[in-house]
Order: sequence, then C-alpha cells, then structure tokens
Amino acid sequence: MLYDLSAVKRQFRETVPIADFKLTRRGLLASTAFVALATATAVGPTGAWAAAGVSADQRLTLIRMARDIYPHEDFLPDGPYVTVVDAILKEAEGNDETRKLILDGLADLEARAQKIHGKSYVAVADANMREGLLRSIELGGFFQKVRGGLLFGLYNNKDLYPKFDYDGSSWEKGGFMDSFDKIDWL
Amino acid sequence: MAAKIDLNDDSVVVIVGSGAGGGTVANELAQKGIKSVILEAGKVLSLDDIENDEWAMFSKISWLDKRYSKGSWHGAVNHPNLPAWIVKGLGGSTVHWAGVSLRYQPHEFKMKSTTGGIPGANVADWPISYDELAPWYDKAELKMGTTGAVTGMDHLPWSADFKVLAEGARRIGYSKLTAGPMSINSTERDGRPACQQIGFCMQGCKIGAKWSTLYTELPRAVDTGNCEIRTDCMVLRVEHDKSGKVTGVVYADKDGNQHKQKARVVCVAGNSIESPRLLLNSESNMFKDGLANSSGQVGRNYMTHMTGGVYATMPGKVHMNRGTAVAGIVRDEAHHDDSRGFIGGYTLEKLALGLGFLSAFLVPGPTGWGRKVSGAMEKYANMSGVWICGEDMPQEINRITLHDSEKDQYGLPVPNVAKTDHPNDTNMRNHAYQQMSYIYNALGATEIYNLPAYPASHNMGTNRMSEKAEDGVVNKWGQSHDIKNLFVSDGSQFATSGSPNPTLTIVALAIRQADYLATQLKKGEL
Ligand SMILES: Cc1cc2nc3c(=O)[nH]c(=O)nc-3n(C[C@H](O)[C@H](O)[C@H](O)COP(=O)(O)OP(=O)(O)OC[C@H]3O[C@@H](n4cnc5c(N)ncnc54)[C@H](O)[C@@H]3O)c2cc1C
Ligand code: SF4
Repeated sequence: MLYDLSAVKRQFRETVPIADFKLTRRGLLASTAFVALATATAVGPTGAWAAAGVSADQRLTLIRMARDIYPHEDFLPDGPYVTVVDAILKEAEGNDETRKLILDGLADLEARAQKIHGKSYVAVADANMREGLLRSIELGGFFQKVRGGLLFGLYNNKDLYPKFDYDGSSWEKGGFMDSFDKIDWL
Repeated sequence: MAAKIDLNDDSVVVIVGSGAGGGTVANELAQKGIKSVILEAGKVLSLDDIENDEWAMFSKISWLDKRYSKGSWHGAVNHPNLPAWIVKGLGGSTVHWAGVSLRYQPHEFKMKSTTGGIPGANVADWPISYDELAPWYDKAELKMGTTGAVTGMDHLPWSADFKVLAEGARRIGYSKLTAGPMSINSTERDGRPACQQIGFCMQGCKIGAKWSTLYTELPRAVDTGNCEIRTDCMVLRVEHDKSGKVTGVVYADKDGNQHKQKARVVCVAGNSIESPRLLLNSESNMFKDGLANSSGQVGRNYMTHMTGGVYATMPGKVHMNRGTAVAGIVRDEAHHDDSRGFIGGYTLEKLALGLGFLSAFLVPGPTGWGRKVSGAMEKYANMSGVWICGEDMPQEINRITLHDSEKDQYGLPVPNVAKTDHPNDTNMRNHAYQQMSYIYNALGATEIYNLPAYPASHNMGTNRMSEKAEDGVVNKWGQSHDIKNLFVSDGSQFATSGSPNPTLTIVALAIRQADYLATQLKKGEL
C-alpha cells in the first residue's frame, strides 16, 4: 500500500459522528409548526391542490415528504416547503401527466408505509423510518419531481439566502472588496 | 468595421467556434491581415447577460443540446445527458472559465518517455516540447493578462477562503501555495479593470476583469475589418473536393436554413466533443470513417482531467463565495513521482461554489438528498473546498461516438461521450482525497465530503497531435495529417492532459498555429 486510504475513512469517522439520533427521532407531531399546518389544512379542500384532485391529507403527506427530503428541523419553517409542494400541485391541475405522477406516487408511498409499518406515511414517527421509505422510491419520477422542486425552492431561493448566510449576487454592490479577505478564527 | 464575407469567397479561413481556440486564431489571423469567418453555434452574449446566479447562467449559456454520458463514471447515471459543462455562445467556454492559467511542466509533454508507457493507457509524447512552446506561452500570458512574471502583474490578494486552504496545507508540510497564475487582472490592464472580488467568475465576469474571447479577441478581430462573426450558425459538416482538400463548410443558421461557406482553410475549434463529432459527421465516400481519421483516433483518448472535489465544514465562518471562485492553487502534488502509486500529478484548486451548485453537487444525482445534504447546507458559510485537477490517462475506450439512431435539432446524430477511470486515475483521486482529509482535519474541520467528478469542464484529446500520421489526427501545428488545409485549433489536439488546466496551452497553441498558417498561406502551401 503506497498510501493509506483507511486514513480517509478513519479521519472521516473521527470527525463525522453518525447522525444524532435524538435529533432525528423528532417525529411529525413533535414539530409544532407542522401540527399548526395540519390543523389549518384540515379545514377543507381549497386552492389549486383541490382542483388537482389531491385531498388535504395527501397534500400534507407531500409536505411531510418534502421536509424529509431536505430536513431542516428548526432551521426552516414549513413555508418554503409548502410553496414547493403547492407549485407542483398547481402544475398538476393543468397537466394530466404530472397529476398522475403525483397521485400514483402518493398511492405507492402510502402502500409501502402500510405494508412495512402498518400505518400511513405521515404517521410513521421515526424520521429514519420515513427516510427508509423514501429511499425505496428515490429513483422514481414522483420522488425526483418533488426533490427537483425542493432543490430549487430551498437552495436557489433568494428569499432564503440570508437563512443560509449566503450573500448571492454582489456585482451591483461593487463586489466583496471589503470582506473577501477577512477571517477571524484561523 | 465588421467584414462582410461572401459565401463564395474561397480565399478565407473558416473558423468553427469562438472560444479559447477559435477566438484566438481569428484575432491572430486578423491582425496579420488574413480574412476569416467565425461560425458560432451559440448566440451573441454581452456583459449585460451576465448575472451572479449559478443556475440562471447555467441555463442561459450552457451547451444543452442532447448528449449521452457513457462509460463507468458516475455521471453516466447521475448526469446522463450532461457529460460536460461547456458554453454554447459567443466566447465559448471562456465566458464560464475560472481563469487558472498554469503552464504544462516540461515532462508533461513527454509522458511516454518519462514513464515508459502505462498498461491500458494510450500515453504518448507530444510532438513538441516545452522549450518550443515557451515563447508562445509568453505571448499567451501577455494576451490573456495572466498574473505572474511575464506580465509583471501581481497575483490576486489572498481571500479568506484561500487563507483557510493554505493554512491547512502549510500544517501538513506543503509550501507551493499561490493565488495564481490567473488570467484575471489584479490591476487595470489592457482596457479591462482590476478584479473587484465579485465572485461568480464561473458565471461570467460582470466587469470583464477575467480574460474571455468575448470581449478581447473577438471584438479586436472584427475591428480590423478582416473578420466576420456569424452567431447562431451551427456547422453541420466540412466538405472536400476530389483531391481530398477541404473546400468549405455547410452550416444551419438561426432559422434552420443551410448555407455553404467556401474556404481556403478550415479551423475546427468546437471543443473536444463537438470537434471530433464534426469530423465524424463529415464522412464521405472518400473518407468513410470521417475526415482526418486515417489513424482511427478521431474521437478517441477523450480526457477530462482526473477530477473530484473535497468540501469541509470549518470551525469558523469562511464565506467562500466572497471573492474569486478559484482563489488559489496548491501545487505540492503536481510533480511526477510514481512512488505515490500513480504517474503524473495533480493540483488542488480552491473552488468556491454557491449555495445552488453546492446543494446539487455535494452528493450528485438522484440520491443526493437527506440529512447529509441539508445539514451541510445549514453550515454553508463555514464551508470551504477544493477541486482536484490531475493528469488523466488517455484511453481509446474513452471516446466520442455518434448515436446509431437518435438525432438532434439539426438532424445530426447525437454524440455519446464515454469516460471510464483508468486505475491510475482512481489511485490519484484517492491520494488527493487522503491529502485533503489531512489538510482539513489539521484545521479542525467537523465534516468532510468527498465529491466525485463534475460534468467535465476540461475536455481534451479527441483529435490528438502526433509525430506520425498513424498515431494521431494532427501534426504539431494542429494540421490534419491527412488533409493539409484542415486544422484543429482547440484542446482536442492535446496528446496527453498533463495536470494543468488546459486553456493557457490552447491559446499558446492557437497563437503558434495562426503564425504557421500565415506563413504557409504566404508561401502558397495551402
Ligand atoms: C466552469 C468552467 C471553468 C473553467 N475553468 C478553467 C480554468 O480555470 N482554467 C482553464 O484553463 N480552463 C478552464 N475551463 C476550461 C476552458 O473553458 C476550456 O478549456 C476552453 O474554453 C476550451 O476552448 P475551446 O476553444 O476548445 O472551446 P470553447 O471555449 O468551449 O468554444 C467552443 C465554441 O464552439 C462552438 N461550437 C461547437 N461546435 C460548433 C459547431 N459545429 N458549429 C459552430 N460552433 C460550434 C461552441 O458553441 C463554443 O462557443 C473551464 C471551463 C468551465 C466550463
Ligand atoms: S471575482 Fe473578479 S474575476 Fe471573478 S467575476 Fe468577479 S471581478 Fe471578475
């Protein structure tokens, strides 16, 4: 062995503790924001998603799923996730292909949750278990539709840049001449 | 004063592509009074089109015509239609490029003699040496405004992000740490301003501090009155006469109408996927395997550099997005020393990614989601990272071929782009991952992420130069061995990839080629 790849793994293990289970166990109902949302949406089918033939519960499942794809527990509120889900449902309203993708995908996800956990997707309390269910459908079009929407809706969303402490466009401010070389911890 | 050149004017040089190679050849010829037509498949771009937004610029100017990724690299699955990240637009990929301008090291022109050859790889010596190219490198650096001794322009100041990398590198005993050479003005020069540390260099430099043919070579060529640029013009094939000399090209304009532009000489500079594709698409009864392909090497030996990325979460804030995208280079592993388990070397180039690209490429492809990605993004401001860029083994199996049945919007067969690691590539990448883990751990990084290769931004080798006609496509001037008035003017000429980023060498070769072309034209040889 001319160089030691195990060093990479060893160092990796030292510096990257496997996910903190206390954090990841945080189930659906532990998130107060999500409870509020669930209550609000349970009021009745309104908005584009209803027109797309999607029930309030199904929309909620999509939102839960969105939060599970890129989890940001206390870091991000539900709002940005809801925006992405509703945009997809809006598209589904006018596009049979998207509607079918969403409805079939949801049915499939529900069936998997029932088969493995005996309950619906949103009722599976353990985030790791929900991730497991999503991993089983991750290569499919339904999952990728939601993931693609999120990738843009969360990380290419100028409104959220400040949350991530990302500056975005700088040319109109004359660049980063004042700050590019500043560092205080090195 | 733009020239207006007649379609039937068969005294002109036709140049396919307006990027590093094509733009440079055009301006060099124009300055010598030689008339040319540039045919550029992409549209007109200007500084007004440039935004500080990664995905917006990606969708605005990338080459997104259908392509297939093949071979065993992860991109065949994760980037099935994006084997490479290249620009389709005026200025070509010099709009997006980062500006790193390293010279090839002398031994990198002679890897076959240096190593005795590598099993499974088509390693070759270039038919030129470093010493032959050195004066042309000087000219290229002066043209591009490369920081360093030749221009006398200082390297750019160190950004916080580069200070982080350099400090980690210092702690593990590295010492070759520089914020250049970059073809980015550190002072006002050549009518262009000094860098304002805007960031987003790879989305186009909003103020033109970074060299690009878009606002240097191309307008200067046009200003001489010797060059006409036609944008939105995709060259479909190169035509030839009974004697086997090329006579011009057929291209489709914006409305899909086809025209033939006659030519005395054709220079192909469409980057290393489109250039061989064009030669293959130009097959005829006389040249059944495509133009200039008696060696069978057209499209083969496709190289992208051995690449990968390493990003890490630092104990404090870095704000890597502030300042030049590639703020510095570590060159301690760039030499050739096979005791490391591979031949050739690599550089570690500081590479800032914005939130948009980092989220997409940290774990690329359909499986790139979950807590690992979202957790990393929450720490965006603490992140720092590098791009690994090393010698790539030329292999005949890595090649551009034409799809059996599928056609693009121009009716041309879609290209398949195959890339598979040679064991040397894998070993080198693993070595780089290891070294980067030492560097980042020395800084107290809390997480380290190894990234596989991105879609290729460096594309080379598919029309390689060779001493003998049977070993390659072009000679040391980039002139086809088979057809003397057909030239290749881009990175597809490279015999091997070396470790340095290719553009400075593409430009040096293009200046030298234009000089040769002018002499040959004057002598009536072409
Ligand atoms: C994000 C990014 C960062 C990079 N950073 C660096 C760096 O720091 N240092 C470095 O050395 N290199 C860098 N590169 C690579 C560099 O951009 C390329 O090496 C260089 O631009 C290649 O020059 P070229 O002339 O071969 O092709 P290009 O510059 O790509 O130009 C080819 C042109 O030909 C046109 N074309 C293709 N086919 C046809 C046709 N059939 N008809 C008409 N027109 C056609 C294309 O539209 C394009 O405009 C980077 C590239 C990218 C994408
Ligand atoms: S950092 Fe400098 S070179 Fe890069 S885009 Fe900004 S001004 Fe141009």
